[in-house]
Amino acid sequence: MSAFSRSRPRVSAREWHERLLFLLLISPNVLLLAAFTFWPMIYNAYLSTISWNFLSPVQRFVGLRNYETVLSSEIFRIVLINTAVFTVVSVTVTMVLGLGLALLLNQPLRWRNGARAVLFTPTMLSGAAIAIVWIYIFDPRFGLLAQILGWFGFRSPNWLADPNWAMTALLIVYIWKNAGYAVVIYLAGLQTIDQTLYEAARIDGAGPWGQFWHVTLPGLSPISFFLLVTSVLACFQAFDIIQVMTEGGPVNATNMLVYHLYERGFIQSQAGPAGVVAMVMFVVMLILTILQLRFIERRVHYS
Amino acid sequence: MAKVTRRQFLRGVAAGAGALTLAACGGAATTSPTAEPTAAPATAAPTTAPATAVPPATMPPGSMGSTVEITYWGSFSGVLGEAEKATVEAFNNSQKDVKVNYQFQGNYEETAQKLTAAIQARQTPDVSLLSDVWWFSFYINGHLQPLDDLMAAEGVKREAYVDVLLNEGIRKNTVYWIPFARSTPLFYYNKQAWQEAGLEDRAPKTWDEFIEWAPKLNKEGRSAFAHPSAASYIAWLFQCVIWQFGGRYSDPDFTIRIHEEGGVRAGNFYRDTTQTYKWATTPKDVTQDFVTGLTASAMLSTAALAGVEKNAQFPVGTGFLPEGPAGFGCCTGGAGMAILAGLPAEKQRAAMKWIAFATGEEWTIEWAQRTGYMPVRKAAVESERMQKYFAERPNFRTAVEQLPKTRPQDAARVYIRGGDQIIGKGLERITINGEDPAKVWMDVKAQLEEAAKPTIELLKTVEG
Repeated sequence: MSAFSRSRPRVSAREWHERLLFLLLISPNVLLLAAFTFWPMIYNAYLSTISWNFLSPVQRFVGLRNYETVLSSEIFRIVLINTAVFTVVSVTVTMVLGLGLALLLNQPLRWRNGARAVLFTPTMLSGAAIAIVWIYIFDPRFGLLAQILGWFGFRSPNWLADPNWAMTALLIVYIWKNAGYAVVIYLAGLQTIDQTLYEAARIDGAGPWGQFWHVTLPGLSPISFFLLVTSVLACFQAFDIIQVMTEGGPVNATNMLVYHLYERGFIQSQAGPAGVVAMVMFVVMLILTILQLRFIERRVHYS
Repeated sequence: MAKVTRRQFLRGVAAGAGALTLAACGGAATTSPTAEPTAAPATAAPTTAPATAVPPATMPPGSMGSTVEITYWGSFSGVLGEAEKATVEAFNNSQKDVKVNYQFQGNYEETAQKLTAAIQARQTPDVSLLSDVWWFSFYINGHLQPLDDLMAAEGVKREAYVDVLLNEGIRKNTVYWIPFARSTPLFYYNKQAWQEAGLEDRAPKTWDEFIEWAPKLNKEGRSAFAHPSAASYIAWLFQCVIWQFGGRYSDPDFTIRIHEEGGVRAGNFYRDTTQTYKWATTPKDVTQDFVTGLTASAMLSTAALAGVEKNAQFPVGTGFLPEGPAGFGCCTGGAGMAILAGLPAEKQRAAMKWIAFATGEEWTIEWAQRTGYMPVRKAAVESERMQKYFAERPNFRTAVEQLPKTRPQDAARVYIRGGDQIIGKGLERITINGEDPAKVWMDVKAQLEEAAKPTIELLKTVEG
């Protein structure tokens, strides 16, 4: 009895101590998140229900009217389609290309490290800077791409001024910028696959294709999953290159969620509708993240 | 249990990261370089005079009073940016009482966006450059200082300014916006291309004439004409064209007229230039295309003149805008300076001193010669120095000669917030997509009417 009464407060004290330590350790991050993530989120939810131009002292509550305005607008439909097309194409091509290049660079080739460095460089560069360079590359008359196309007898499309080509141009830049990142991540993933699995596969009579299909791809699935989640989220937030290269145009051909948010908020000075776009973005990304965690994670093999 | 909690916690954090984009938008307010932290909030009493905070290094030796520092936000880059910086330096060197700290904020739109954020953060500059489509928003929301008393104290007379230009900044007989970098569109042409095509060395008198000329100017690798994008203010140039075709964007009371007959005719003309005649292009940067010879002519701001003359490899000609079926039409544009409301009295005086210099008779001549903007003072236009310069560089004269024929822009573009871009995006649909102007203008009309509502409401409460 006395042993119990003595030990109970001692355990409790240690627990308290641990809890306090836990709180202490997480508090800097929690405070940062509260100030820069959760508070803006709550404030944005408020903004989405008011009519306000950022300048007026009057903020009028309009309930869900902003949602009606935004969600029923033609422009928002275009923006959603653009964002979806951009995300699907960009993520798919980046990941397939990244995997292909990673497999290639995983071979003992000459200049392998140099090639890796070159591939990774675009990822490190500032989006605004590369967008400026690409504007020149895409110029239909004196641009680098026009010259290369000219060698093969093709006429350069008017990349950035033609609504039918602007999205393609943007995709080229984003894929070029992000492929290197996928390569590096995939290369790291390839190192983690147990070589004995390949040996076993070969003994079982698997050719190069069979080895790739049954060993490499399953072995890379956690990496692929990670890349998928981060790439999709990044695509939804694409802004810098769009702002510099196309400004959402021509005629909204490259207008996507974040640019549209910027347009509503800072060009048209409509805090409410801009808040709605942000809320939609938040909800879509939340759903995507939950779906990805729920369904894809189950099929991913963690060795 | 603890593990699950942590996992849930992290998951919540990951979800929250999605909302980071929101924080990024608000970020403009916190990261933009703003005025010195002593700038008083609009509501504060003007007793928080921070003049004593001036570091002693800037104190001129032997001066009696202390130097008042003010912050000025500007918007120019390139040739214009250098001229703007020179303006500040010349002012700072000309006297010891006021020191202007020049802060470049990006283009007109970016400057206005940052000023909006700065007002929210209560970290405004003292003086800001504001473009034709932006100053009114700040005025109507009560963020601009009435200037008449300050002008009187500084000995600056209304009559000294070119009337058309100053009048645009007057509301209810009070000056809020003083003309500084004011422009009109001009017709620019490449004299070499003109000569090759066997054309008379002048701008076309009418659009009909240009329709005859254009096929001769148009060839592989060079278009006859070019339209800018919405972001490069196509709606400013089209303001003139819609007048030339007998239409208008709106009435002064915000009744939208863009969809009426004249507007549709002007829209059809614009569509034809790219879709039917196919001699006009829609490049990313019209000025650059003109300078590099990729387009033989364009409507550009007078402000482009100094840069164009400097960079073009061919002789440049300028002329009045061509006339349309309804005759001549041309508007003014550009930017002026405004003082933010609620500054301490001595900062207000200092700010006015700076504006009086920058838009003063002497400097406006210098400024006009460095940039191509119009001199904003009557005496400057007539001055010997300016006349001599006009004789040497006749292109600089065009804008001043055209000025008496100009008129202020329609309310829909300059007073409706975002109106410029709404019209501009509509014009992109017409010139780039080749959509039917009648249909596009109905969409634009609806958008303009929606966007005008808050302005009309505010106007009632502010001006009655």
